[in-house]
Amino acid sequence: MAFQTLDGNEAVASVAYRLSETIAIYPITPASVMGEHADDWAALGRPNLWGQVPSVVEMQSEAGAAGAMHGALQAGSLVTTFTASQGLLLMLPNLFKIAGELSPFCMHIAARSVATHALSIFCDHSDVMTARGTGFALLASGSVQEAQDLAAIGHAVTLKARVPVMHFFDGFRTSHEISKIAALSDEELQALVSHEGVEAHRARRMTPDRPVVRGTSQNPDAFFQSREATNPFYQAFPDKLEAVMDRFAEITGRRYRPFDYVGHPEAERVVILMGSGAECAHETVDWLVEEGEKVGVLKVRLFRPFATDRFLAALPDTVQHLAVLDRTKEPGAQGEPLLLEVSGALMEAWSRGERQTLPRLIGGRYGLSSREFTPAMVCAVFDELKAGAPKTRFTVGVRDDVTQLSLDVDSELDIESPKTRRALFFGLGADGTVSSNKASIKILGEGTDLYAQGHFVYDSKKSGATTVSHLRFGPLPIRSSYQIRKAQFVAIHAPQFLERFDVLEHAAEGATVLLNVPWSRDEAWDRLSVEVQRVLVERKARLYVIDAADVAEKAGLERRINTVMQVCFFALADILPKDEAIARIKDSIRETWGRRGPEVVRRNVEAVDSALAHLYEVPVPDKVTATRTRPPRVPEDAPDFVQKVTRLLLEGQGDRLPVSAFPPDGSWPTGTSQFEKRSIAQEIPIWESDLCVQCNFCAMICPHTAITAKVFEPEAARNGPETFEAVPETQTPELEGLDYRLQVAPEDCTGCGLCVEVCPAKDRTRPKRKAINMQPLAEHCEVEAENLKFFRSLPDVPRDRIPRDFKSLPLLIPLFEYSGACAGCGETPYIRLLTQLLGDRLLIANATGCSSIYGGNLPTTPYTVNAEGRGPTWNNSLFEDAAELGLGMRLGLNKLVGRARQLLEGMRERLPQGLYNSLTGPCATLDEVAMAARRKAVARLRDWLEDQQGAEMQELASLADELCPKSVWVIGGDGWAYDIGYGGLDHALASGQNLKLLVLDTEVYSNTGGQQSKATPMGAIAKFAAAGKETRKKDLGLLAMSYGHVYVAQIAMQSHSNQTTKALQEAESFDGPALIIAHSPCIAHGYDLVHSPAQQKRAVDSWAWPIYRFDPRRIEEGLPPLQLDSVRQKVPMKTYMQEEARFRMLELRDPERYERLVAAATEAAQDQRELYKQLAGIHFEPHDNPESGQGEGEQHD
Amino acid sequence: MIELTTRWLGLDLRSPLVVGASPLTDDVGALRACVDAGAGAVVMHSLFEEQLVAEQMAAHRFIDSRINMDAEARSFFPESEVFEMGSGSYLKRLERLRSTLDVPVIASLNGISPGGWTLHARELQDAGADAIELNLYDLATDPAETAVTLEQRQQEVVRSVVGQVSIPVSVKLSPFYSALPAFVAGVEAAGAHGLVLFNRFYQPDMDLDALTLSRELVLSSSAELPLRLHAVATLFNRTGLEMAVSGGVHTGDDAAKAILSGGTVVQVVSALLAEGPQALARISDAMNRRLSTMGYRTVAEARGALSLDNAPDSKAWERLNYARLLQGWR
Repeated sequence: MAFQTLDGNEAVASVAYRLSETIAIYPITPASVMGEHADDWAALGRPNLWGQVPSVVEMQSEAGAAGAMHGALQAGSLVTTFTASQGLLLMLPNLFKIAGELSPFCMHIAARSVATHALSIFCDHSDVMTARGTGFALLASGSVQEAQDLAAIGHAVTLKARVPVMHFFDGFRTSHEISKIAALSDEELQALVSHEGVEAHRARRMTPDRPVVRGTSQNPDAFFQSREATNPFYQAFPDKLEAVMDRFAEITGRRYRPFDYVGHPEAERVVILMGSGAECAHETVDWLVEEGEKVGVLKVRLFRPFATDRFLAALPDTVQHLAVLDRTKEPGAQGEPLLLEVSGALMEAWSRGERQTLPRLIGGRYGLSSREFTPAMVCAVFDELKAGAPKTRFTVGVRDDVTQLSLDVDSELDIESPKTRRALFFGLGADGTVSSNKASIKILGEGTDLYAQGHFVYDSKKSGATTVSHLRFGPLPIRSSYQIRKAQFVAIHAPQFLERFDVLEHAAEGATVLLNVPWSRDEAWDRLSVEVQRVLVERKARLYVIDAADVAEKAGLERRINTVMQVCFFALADILPKDEAIARIKDSIRETWGRRGPEVVRRNVEAVDSALAHLYEVPVPDKVTATRTRPPRVPEDAPDFVQKVTRLLLEGQGDRLPVSAFPPDGSWPTGTSQFEKRSIAQEIPIWESDLCVQCNFCAMICPHTAITAKVFEPEAARNGPETFEAVPETQTPELEGLDYRLQVAPEDCTGCGLCVEVCPAKDRTRPKRKAINMQPLAEHCEVEAENLKFFRSLPDVPRDRIPRDFKSLPLLIPLFEYSGACAGCGETPYIRLLTQLLGDRLLIANATGCSSIYGGNLPTTPYTVNAEGRGPTWNNSLFEDAAELGLGMRLGLNKLVGRARQLLEGMRERLPQGLYNSLTGPCATLDEVAMAARRKAVARLRDWLEDQQGAEMQELASLADELCPKSVWVIGGDGWAYDIGYGGLDHALASGQNLKLLVLDTEVYSNTGGQQSKATPMGAIAKFAAAGKETRKKDLGLLAMSYGHVYVAQIAMQSHSNQTTKALQEAESFDGPALIIAHSPCIAHGYDLVHSPAQQKRAVDSWAWPIYRFDPRRIEEGLPPLQLDSVRQKVPMKTYMQEEARFRMLELRDPERYERLVAAATEAAQDQRELYKQLAGIHFEPHDNPESGQGEGEQHD
Repeated sequence: MIELTTRWLGLDLRSPLVVGASPLTDDVGALRACVDAGAGAVVMHSLFEEQLVAEQMAAHRFIDSRINMDAEARSFFPESEVFEMGSGSYLKRLERLRSTLDVPVIASLNGISPGGWTLHARELQDAGADAIELNLYDLATDPAETAVTLEQRQQEVVRSVVGQVSIPVSVKLSPFYSALPAFVAGVEAAGAHGLVLFNRFYQPDMDLDALTLSRELVLSSSAELPLRLHAVATLFNRTGLEMAVSGGVHTGDDAAKAILSGGTVVQVVSALLAEGPQALARISDAMNRRLSTMGYRTVAEARGALSLDNAPDSKAWERLNYARLLQGWR
């Protein structure tokens, strides 16, 4: 038997790939990886069981994938797919069809929460439970081994039974857990799969040689009977499944049953559940039985069709108390789905007389959105079953102080075997910690007899992300499907973690603690805070220290410390002889990076060789000597909600917050990112006021709003800190007399360096000194933090004083700051600029993607408010429907505006002199004078309304703010705009409504890891375009122009901010729909984003990214609507392409194909340029009766 | 018409005109046209140590370190895209040129350190290179490092490359040596078979508007030729190494002068970049006409006729030119 160490996704994909011919997919977390593996294997020509390379096709959405699956099944193909959550929901209509047509088909779900009040990428069963009525059989796996095995069983049984199978396992917990498993060979799969079943499926295919019609429309006289005609297939399913499971056991020795009972044979108390939680329950039951308890767990593998007889048979007759645990919530239901099935089965058995008594039955929810489910919680459930009057409905894992449903849990309980070694690693996303831990598990799993498990937890930041790796290994099988509670080894890979959270919370008694810190042996102990010292002393820990960053730096690996730390782990953990461990690490480096090139291997090996010489033990004294405590996680003057809720989320203690701490409807305050001081930069920009030319390019390009410019009255800054320097504003006549300052937010900067890159001001005698220069954070943090505080407190000058040109716009207050986007992100500056123009009058409908993660992922939000408390209001509905969400916002808003005007009209005569006129005249969202006047008038109206009586008066008071115009913007990426949301985007444009759509085009699905979209350019390598994209990028702008009533612009802010600011303002002032497509440099392009301004300029100059504006208003002026802002092709396409890894990789992989696609991309650009030049020369006769902007209740009078 | 066949580094060339190392060698079609126009051999652009290392490390930094850092994005490129960023693509191109062109293909190696790097020489040989042109350059910025140390290091690099391969190795030099003949003697002693004189650099220029440095490839002109002619004429018969003139050959007369000064082969680059492959035919025809008008039957006869040893007024090569000019004035 071959053992492999892999994660659930790979284990499942490997089986599904080998048993399929057609694979239609669409990326969605946490299932994307399965599709990526399939795509990769297909690109490498790996065959399936029948010697063919499966067709792997990425569709425009899961709905599209489902349609393609349905079609492939009808053509007689063996089909699979991988999805989760909303993706599964989008497939539902086709799933009913596929089941209705009794097509053998097996799909795999990495189960994930369905978005409700919030999106969550984490695990529960709300997605698969939503699909339980489709007619699919539902099979549940609880571990990586089971996921692989039941995947095979699922494919095998559907061919025998014709009932399609939905195989699910827990997202992240199982899909991303690395585990040592017995891998299924091709021969084993061959032996399992029914070739008659394959033939029978093929024989039912649609062919004109034996024509049938399917998918008819049926009337009341036929439909019902047809549905009932499928009953025998469902009745037979459990038998067939059991037969396949028996066959599987014969082949592999691993036995599964539709219901697997584990525990005391005469158990009195039993819990029933499915998924990875059942593994934890299994481990706990084993322990409790050892302790003498009569308990057991029933693992449900087959949820649908629910096999009542088998369920009853599996349950020990001695059971008196049953608890059913569901990992989903169905608000308002009598119980969650598994509970209902169980209670129905028991009731039926009783009513049929098969049972004389019924066990007492209670049901609870656990583990929503990957909430931890631990042995202590299982014990809490068993304890509850013992109670005289147990809670019939309960929750476990949260503290419910609102409806009192939760069970109390003994958080100290630890039942893990001491034979299982446990190690925790705190790493930074980019330092390679997770990668090297995955390598370590492989080394241990495949090089020894030990069992091994790795589970990885990531925060939601895209820059300076924190990762926590949980590694277990030992001689016993590992069923612990929860995070490590007591670790014998704790490694802290970045010094800042010591100051940010309680990294030693889970250090066991006598644990070995390894720190990567730039400290000498002598100073290390004294540098630690009271909290850290206390744990080390109390738990008698051994402390080891290494300056891994220095070792890595010297080996030429910059700050990639992972191999250094990996060596230390093996040296200290004492699992393998040191020399053997080091040899294996080197092998794994060669295996992983050998193909990248000898230098990468050489440097990593050098780091390995020099690591141990720098590792030293620091004696832990018997008492705490420090006086310094860990700094508070949020400033003491932060608002109450931030102190009570956000702080705990930031400290990684959110689990401890009770239900009452949370808003029940998902509404959260904005403006909280300012309290999350992450200090992730090594160097930050420091201003040299003598050189500054006040161009504001730095503030314009900063992706994190970490460098901002402000003008203010000189007196206002009189009481600032001593170091608060300011200079007279000299560049803008309108701002004469004001002072100017450039301010860095030292703890929010990511150190990307873009600001310095674009700074044009140089010291004439030493031009390498610019007006801003990167300097060590440590030297400037304190001073600049103080300055920033004062800077933020300075009052803004009236908005109408600041000219609306690209150099002055950055002086407006940004209402989007300090997001968690990647260092150098090319998307965020567009959003920041939008909030500077319109922030206090802006509603945002945001598609799911990077912009919804850095824009709205807890714990903090970057959208913020101005001094009046106004700022963008934001919502993310789904990936596919942002345009519709925005359109709905616009329509709904219009009705409220209409009602407010109607009410105002009704009291026109009674209003104070002049008020009516000042509330109804023209007022454009970009006209600051008019806006300020309108806000004043609304305030006057409110004052007046306060003294008035009557329902209409009150109603108007609540709607008065709508008399100030608002702007609705839809924001999303190219995956949304070009693919999954294109239909809605197109419809929103066609609606003619006053709605603006901003497409942040990174030319791939960035958030899920670089899958191709229809925006991916020709010649680029992306996931699902591993050979380089063959076809041209879709010209979304041209499609939108074809309507004639849509304002369209394509922009490139990093290199052409002047054109960008014009386009944004023209779009906003246009009374109708506008589409703006924004070139967004992204880490998925594979180059150092500090060069993105130059690279984007190449994109524009080569016509890879032409910039233009199409303004229908120009037709009325007798002008062509299209203006090209980059007319000539100034550099060859190749000059642009050769600078990005996504193109360069194709050149390395296949130089001839690269040359061919470069030539084709060049031609495509030429064609587009020819077409656009002609369009830009078109002259329309002005219409007699212009019809622009059909928006109801228009905002721009 | 004179006989053009030439022996260079032990290879039989049908013409002394050779396509020098340049970006042109990425363009197979253009190279084929050059060969059709009469080129005797082609030299590939350099396999750059610095560039290979930089690219590998950039990939490690901007691709590999973005793996496993995010819950949603496991990575940003397909897994199968982890492939060699070493010399592989250069070697593939070399193999392709070898199979496409019916003239010798000389690979070029540009290293900054002795040691592991020179192992690439073996790869070039195994991929079918007919010879290796080793490009030596060192930018001295350290006041503590003497010319002697630097020159010894360079000769060490030559020795280590020559030691790796059985094919001939020519060495391409920069013009900046205070005692060129002595250095060349060291290169010869290190085992080299030929010299290429001289390298032209991407010379940084200044952008006065932006107050920055700019880097552009400036094509050579015939004005750069005399420096080469002088060196070749001086070294002719003073070194056992065959010499190639590289830099400033734009006309048939330029090529003829290169031969007459003592060059065995004449490398052409800028003229081809400016004019395309037809420049080679033009230069070849004109050189041929010129040398045959002068009465030479073979290029070998013409070689070195105006070298320091053979020229009628050979002192001109040794004296600084102003002396000659002063005489003329008087």
